[in-house]
Amino acid sequence: MSDQTHIPAGHDLAPGEEEQHSVGERILGYVVGLVLALLLTATSFFIAGTDLVWQPSIPVALIVLAIAQMGVHLVFFLHITTGPDNTNNVLALAFGLLVVFLVVGGTVWIMSHLNANMPPMDQIMMRQ
Amino acid sequence: MLGKLDWSAIPFDQPIPLVAGAVVLVAILAVLIWVVVRGHLPYLWHEWITSVDHKRIGVMYILLASVMLLRGGSDAIMMRIQQAVAYQSQGYLPPEHYNQIFSAHGTIMIFFVAMPFVIGLMNLVVPLQLGVRDVAFPTLNSVGFWLTATGALLVNISLVVGEFARTGWLAFPPLSGLSYSPGVGVDYYAWSLQISGVGTLVAGINLVTTVLKLRTRGMNYLRMPMFCWTTLASNLLIVSAFPILTATLAMLLLDRYLGFHFFTNEAGGNVMMFMNLIWAWGHPEVYILVLPAFGIFSEVVSTFSGKALFGYRSMVLATMAICVVSFMVWLHHFFTMGAGPDVNAIFGIASMIIAIPTGVKIYNWLFTMYGGRIRFATPMLWSVGFMVTFIIGGLTGVLVAVPPADFMLHNSMFLVAHFHNVIIGGVLFGAFAGFEYWFPKAFGFRLDERWGKAAFWFTFTGFWITFMPLYIAGMLGMTRRLQHYDVAAWRPWMIVAAFGMAVLSIGVICQIMQLVVSIRNREALRDRTGDPWDGRSLEWATSSPPPVFNFAFHPDVRGEDAYWDMKARAQQQSFEHDVPEYQDIEMPRNSPTGFVCAFFASIMGFALIWHIWWMVILGGIGAFATFVVFAWRDHDEYVIPAEEVARIDRVNLEERRSLVSMAGAV
Ligand code: HEM
Ligand SMILES: [Cu+2]
Repeated sequence: MSDQTHIPAGHDLAPGEEEQHSVGERILGYVVGLVLALLLTATSFFIAGTDLVWQPSIPVALIVLAIAQMGVHLVFFLHITTGPDNTNNVLALAFGLLVVFLVVGGTVWIMSHLNANMPPMDQIMMRQ
Repeated sequence: MLGKLDWSAIPFDQPIPLVAGAVVLVAILAVLIWVVVRGHLPYLWHEWITSVDHKRIGVMYILLASVMLLRGGSDAIMMRIQQAVAYQSQGYLPPEHYNQIFSAHGTIMIFFVAMPFVIGLMNLVVPLQLGVRDVAFPTLNSVGFWLTATGALLVNISLVVGEFARTGWLAFPPLSGLSYSPGVGVDYYAWSLQISGVGTLVAGINLVTTVLKLRTRGMNYLRMPMFCWTTLASNLLIVSAFPILTATLAMLLLDRYLGFHFFTNEAGGNVMMFMNLIWAWGHPEVYILVLPAFGIFSEVVSTFSGKALFGYRSMVLATMAICVVSFMVWLHHFFTMGAGPDVNAIFGIASMIIAIPTGVKIYNWLFTMYGGRIRFATPMLWSVGFMVTFIIGGLTGVLVAVPPADFMLHNSMFLVAHFHNVIIGGVLFGAFAGFEYWFPKAFGFRLDERWGKAAFWFTFTGFWITFMPLYIAGMLGMTRRLQHYDVAAWRPWMIVAAFGMAVLSIGVICQIMQLVVSIRNREALRDRTGDPWDGRSLEWATSSPPPVFNFAFHPDVRGEDAYWDMKARAQQQSFEHDVPEYQDIEMPRNSPTGFVCAFFASIMGFALIWHIWWMVILGGIGAFATFVVFAWRDHDEYVIPAEEVARIDRVNLEERRSLVSMAGAV
C-alpha cells in the first residue's frame, strides 16, 4: 500500500531498513559486524575451554560475551540506532526485552520455589 | 492408510452429538445448495472469501464468532441442565461426555468466540478510525482469518469424528499426557489451537503495525481514539504472549507424539512447568480480550454522552499500564500449588495492583457520563450494564487474588462465577455494544432498537440469575466441573442457575430476532448520512457502508475527536471551500491465498490428529506452495480511477451536507 503511509515528520525505519548509504559503506558495515561476531564467538569457545583464567569467572565471561554478541547483531545487522527514525524499533526491542525478562525471570523464581516446596515423595522422606 | 481413523471414531452409541452433528451437517448442506442453486457462489467467492478488505474480513470474523457462540452456548445449556438434575443421580450426560462438553465450551468460548469477535471489531473499525484505506498487510489479514476458521472447523469435526479433550480448556498434564488421555481428544484441542494461534499471531502483528505505521495526516498518538489505543495494547500482548502458548502446546505435542518428557511425571519431566507457562500466556490473554472491550465502552460512552472522553490521557496511561502489569501476575492461577509465601505474596500484590488502572477507567467512564446528555440507545445500555456487572467481577477477582482466600475458593464455583462475571460482563457485553454501535457502519442500516433493548434486558438479568447463585454454591464448597453431586444445599442454586440460563437464552433469541427484523426493515432503518449516532471519530466521516477505499481523501486531523471537530468547523464554514481534486486510488487485489492456505492447513491438521502421515505431507506441501505462489505474483494492486472515486464520494458528500445544514437550521 504505497499511497497511504502518511506519517509526516520524523519518518521512521522498519527493522532492517537502511538509510541511504553507498553500497561500499553498507558492505563495510556488514563486514565489520561479521568480523566482530566471529571474534566474539571464537573468544567464547576459547574461554570455555581454557585454564588461563580464574575458573569461576568463566560463566560470567560467557554471559558478557553473549550480550556483546547480541549488541553486535542489533547494531550491524538489524541497524538499531539511537536516532529519532528508530524510536519504534528501540521501543519494540525494549518491550520485548521487558517481557522476556519478566517471563523468564519469573519462571526461574517460581520454579525454584516450587521445586523447593514440592519435591518428589522420596526426597520428602529423606528430609525427615 | 488412514492412521488411527476407522469407523469406531464415529460415536454411533451416543445420540446427542450424533444428532447435533447431523442437524448441523444438514444445515450446512442446505445453505451450500441454496448458495449454489441461487448462483451466489461467484459473489461469495469474489466479494467475501477472497476479499482482503479489512471491513469484509472483520465481518467474517464476527460471523464466525456468532456461530461459535451458538455452539458454545448449547454446551453451556447442556451443562446447566446436567447440574440441575444430577443431584444424587447420574443426570443425562455420562461423565466422559460431560467432560468433553466443559472442555469444548471453554475452548470455544475463549478461542473461537471472544477472540474472533474482538479481532473482528478491531479489523472493521481501527483503519477507519485511523483514517486510512486498509490494514498494513491485507492478504496476511485474510490468511489470519481463515486459519482461525480452520481451528474452529477442527473443533467442530471432533463432535462427530472421534472425541474432544476431557481435560478442561487448558489441558493440564499429566491428565493431557498420553498415558491418561490416549485418545485423539487432546490432539484435536492442541492442533486446532496451534493452527488458529498462527492466525491470531498474524492478526496481532498486522494490527500493531497498522496502528504504529498507518495513520492519516495529523493523527498523532495522542489524538487516536481510545479504541485504537486499546487495540495497540491488546495486540502488543498478542504478539508477546501467543508465542508462549504455541511453544507450550508444541512441547505437549512432542510429549504425545514423539515420546518427549517435557511435562511427564517420569524421566525428568516437570508438570508444573506447563502450569507456569500456560498461565504466563493465560493471564495476558484475559487482558487481550478485555482491553478492546474497554476501548469499545470508551467510544460508546463518550458518543452517547455527547462529551469528549473524560481523562483521555489517564485512560491511555491506564491501558498501557495494564499491558505491562498483566505480565506480572500469572502465578495467581496456581497459588495453591506450592509456590510458598514469598512468591504468593508478591504475585498477590501485583494482582491487586492491576485492579487500580481498571478502577481508573471505571471512574473515567462515570465522569464522562456526568453532566452529559445521555442517550440510552442499545450500545449505551450494554455499556452501563457492563459497568455494573464488571465491578462485581473485578472485586471478586481481587478477592481471589488474596492467597489465603484463594486457598478456600480456588477451583470452586466461586471462581467460575468470577471469570464469567468478567468475561461475559466485560468482553461479551463489550462485543455486543460494539456490534450494535458499528453495525450501521458495516451494513448501511441501523439495528432495530426495540429488539435490541429486549435482548439487553434478558441477557443482563439472565446473566445475574445464572451466575450469582454460583458464587453462593462456591462458598458452600461446591467445586467446579462436577458431573454429579450429593450435597443437598447446592441443589437449589443449581436450579436457579438453570432458570437463569433460560432467561439468558431468551436474550440470545431476541438478538437473532433483532437481526432478522432489521434486515427485513432495512429500507426504513437505512443510514444515509454515515453518521447515525452523531459520532466523534473518523469512522463516521465516511459513508455507511464505506466504499472499498474508505476515504476519498486522507482526512486531516487537528485534534482529539477528529470528526466532531470537522462537524463543528463545517457548521461554521460549510463544506464548500474544499471542492476536492480527486485522484486515482490504488487498492490491494483480492487473493485466495488465505482460503487455499487454510484449506491445506485443515487437511494437515486433521491428518496430524489421526496420524495419517502421507496426508500431513500433502497438506504441508500445499500450504507452502500457496505461499510461494503468492510471494511470486506480479500484480498485487489495482487502480480505481479518479472519476469513479469522485462519483462515489459526491453522493456521500451530498447527504452529509444536507445533514449539516439541517443541524445548522435547528
Ligand atoms: C480486577 C482484576 C482481576 C483480578 C485481580 C483477577 C484475579 C483472578 C484470580 C486470582 C484468578 C485465579 C483464581 C483461582 O484459580 O483460584 C482468576 C481466574 C480467572 N480470571 Fe480473573 N482477575 C481479574 C480480572 C479478570 C478479567 C478482566 C478476566 C477476563 C476478561 C479474568 C478472567 C479470568 C479467568 C478466565 C479465570 C479462570 C481460569 C481458569 O482457572 O480456568 N479475570 N482471576
Ligand atoms: Cu489471571
